[in-house]
Amino acid sequence: MRVNRREFIAACGSLTLVGSPLFNARAATLAKRNLVIIMLRGGMDGLTAVQPRDNQMKKVRPDILVEGTKKLTSDFNLHPRLETFHQCWQEGSAAVYHATSIPYTGRSHFDGQNLMETGAHVAYSEKTGWLGRGMDAAELDGLAVSLPMPLLLRGSSGLDNYFPTYMRMPSQTALQNIQTSYTPGSDLAQTLDRVRHRPASMMMIHGDNEAHELAKVAADELARQDGPRIAVFDLDGFDTHAAQGGRDGEHGEQLNNYDRVLSVLKDNLGDAYDNTLILTLTEFGRKVEQNGGYGTEHGYGTAILMAGGLVRKAEIHADWPGLRSKDLFEGQDLDATVDARSIYCAAMSACFDVDFNYMKKHAFWDEDLTDVTERLFRV
Amino acid sequence: MKKDFFRKMGFGLGPDETLPEDPVAWAEAQVETVPPLVWDGDIPTAAHLLDERAKFVYTDRRVIRKKFRDDRRAYREAKDQLRWETGEKYYESLDIAIRHNTALKSQAPVFERLWLFWHNHFAVAEKAMLACWNTGAYTRETIRPNMCGSFTDLVKAVTTSWTMIHHLDNSESVGPNSERGRWRRRNGKPATVNENHARELLELHTVSPAAGYTQKDVVSLSYIMAGWENRWSEKREECNPVRFDAKSHEPGNHVVLGKRYKQRGLSPKSKLNDVIEDLCAHPMCAEFVSTKLVRHFVSDDVTPEMVAPVIKAWQETDGHLPAVYKALIRVVYDHTGTHRKFLNPEVWMLQSVKLGQAPWPPQADEMKYDFKSKPKGKLNRPRSVMWEIGHHPHRPAQPNGWPDTEAEWLSPELLIRRLALAKRIADNTRIRPAFDSSIAKNFDNATDVIDYLNACKGNRAGDYVAARTDGIYLFPSEWMLKV
Repeated sequence: MRVNRREFIAACGSLTLVGSPLFNARAATLAKRNLVIIMLRGGMDGLTAVQPRDNQMKKVRPDILVEGTKKLTSDFNLHPRLETFHQCWQEGSAAVYHATSIPYTGRSHFDGQNLMETGAHVAYSEKTGWLGRGMDAAELDGLAVSLPMPLLLRGSSGLDNYFPTYMRMPSQTALQNIQTSYTPGSDLAQTLDRVRHRPASMMMIHGDNEAHELAKVAADELARQDGPRIAVFDLDGFDTHAAQGGRDGEHGEQLNNYDRVLSVLKDNLGDAYDNTLILTLTEFGRKVEQNGGYGTEHGYGTAILMAGGLVRKAEIHADWPGLRSKDLFEGQDLDATVDARSIYCAAMSACFDVDFNYMKKHAFWDEDLTDVTERLFRV
Repeated sequence: MKKDFFRKMGFGLGPDETLPEDPVAWAEAQVETVPPLVWDGDIPTAAHLLDERAKFVYTDRRVIRKKFRDDRRAYREAKDQLRWETGEKYYESLDIAIRHNTALKSQAPVFERLWLFWHNHFAVAEKAMLACWNTGAYTRETIRPNMCGSFTDLVKAVTTSWTMIHHLDNSESVGPNSERGRWRRRNGKPATVNENHARELLELHTVSPAAGYTQKDVVSLSYIMAGWENRWSEKREECNPVRFDAKSHEPGNHVVLGKRYKQRGLSPKSKLNDVIEDLCAHPMCAEFVSTKLVRHFVSDDVTPEMVAPVIKAWQETDGHLPAVYKALIRVVYDHTGTHRKFLNPEVWMLQSVKLGQAPWPPQADEMKYDFKSKPKGKLNRPRSVMWEIGHHPHRPAQPNGWPDTEAEWLSPELLIRRLALAKRIADNTRIRPAFDSSIAKNFDNATDVIDYLNACKGNRAGDYVAARTDGIYLFPSEWMLKV
């Protein structure tokens, strides 16, 4: 463990913040760029969030068709409970990449979630995450807020993690006393030293740790020029096998959770919102056809929701595969026509100011990804 | 005598325990046979817990999803009710309470340390609700009873257990040329093996990548393992006992690490037995597992000299575990005082509780549950505390289990948790005199430790209240964290 790293305040249960000190001239002169990844666990249904205006939808999803949607383009509508996202869209700071997925076609949450974080092809084969490797490539270091470190962030050698506890800490005097038992200069002593220099508010948390409430802490920190520049949120509950519903169903409820996080981030980031990119990440989409429980089963292709001032323009990007049964993956799922990792690689390239190919090489083993950086983001 | 050894190899000696005359003999006597679990109440069986799981998954997937398909609130309510009825949020805490009570009160704490070690070696990751009903019972009924036989038998039991098969998706394996595979292909369905279980059997459980196996070996082993599955049924979904179904088994000869496993007439299931025996007899298996044992108990910086006696015992006895443990115990004793190990949060916590005589875990009468409401207070504490200190034994993120080195366990955030938990344990700890005798029995530098505690308290050293808070200073001290 190294101690000569700056430390950053952060937040909560389902939030991870990663900071980066001012380490180079560019960072000192240019506005810091933030990358926020919101992991939507359980399989976010791109067809519910961003619904194609296609009559086929009525045929395959008669009971869970979302009504009261907002028109985005001539081809797509937005789920009505994504209100903030819609507002961002109108302001030109939200976009969608549709019909995309990580390269995983199995239907296991566990393998899929492992792969969405590692960015690999074989579940459990990699022990580091793409964001961690990307940070390492960009020579960013800092602090993650999580318990334990999310897989997504592992692999960055300069990464440190932090997570507030609801338990009470011993007093500062007690900590000072405890330190006398530690071998001076040892890793243990250095670690305690860092703990002692944190304000108590950084160590303990009171009350609720719901994601949208913690988003405020994240936003305040991301807004600081010398604060962290990466935050990771973890939202659960997208696995809607039943009562997925339309406007007010379970999936809409979960999308609304995402929207609240986005809303709090946007409100509290202030001007820093202009230099922030907020992307969603999920393990797979959901089957096109509804099931007997008015829900959907695990699928393949889905959508990535992108928001923040670094989004180039309000646009739906897709090489749309169509919804007729012959268009579907294995006859049942929305196909994925672009590897989602291209988008994440581009996002890191844009936010970390590192060449796409360099990032691709370090974070994704130089696999065949498309450089969409300039198409999607302000660079 | 090296007193640190009692903490290095066990959980330390409690205030009521007498100082053994011969620490090595004391430890060796604990590893011959499997001691009973220590718990004053009923211990749920794996079979019962599988029934509970079956009820949960069947009712959720087949009944209430359909019944409340129009009403997400009613669905949520019904599902909560189902969670409580089937103990979905309860058994996990009960499992940890039984585990900790046994660790703290067992007549054989050295065995219990090994129990925790093997569980993490054959770890079950946080996945598929396994921690809710299956992982705890798996540690009690699959790992524990097989700890004093041969390593081979332990691996066989783990590999064919319901929990591991479900954890590593072996039920999904269909040999492409098996009866079922051919049928599936004729009907345009994929028929492939899932390599997860085979890969982890090689990589994590037996020979490790150092054995130099290839992807081809992994696939071959998957073919051999195809057919070992959790039988599926309409009423219980995946929750039926493991069986070997020849219909999914890939016929033919398969080569793993250079050895050919032949189809044996009507009993292709014995091939798995054969291959496990060969993997466990592989020199890399003895080396890999012995090194892991030494790293766990002695130090992060393992040298070949340290491991040699353990490997030797392994080779001489074909992996007879009590012989391996005894060699390990000797190595641990020899390195006590010269090599220190940064304890993982759970072991450290149990040692702190034992030395401080804190009331942990909740006892059987406190863990009684009505299966009608959300488990609260003590009923929920074991799982919440383990989560809070960052080391829930039944919920590691990956099949490789929790890490085992200081570099991975030492971070500000995890240290903060230990500091806060130390305070909590200290606040609940018993009176001072017991503490003094514990220090005398468990620390080779007892005088330094007592001087340190007095210095921490300064002019309040004689203060009764201050004395009660000794634990705040003792538990997170370097001598407790690293032994």
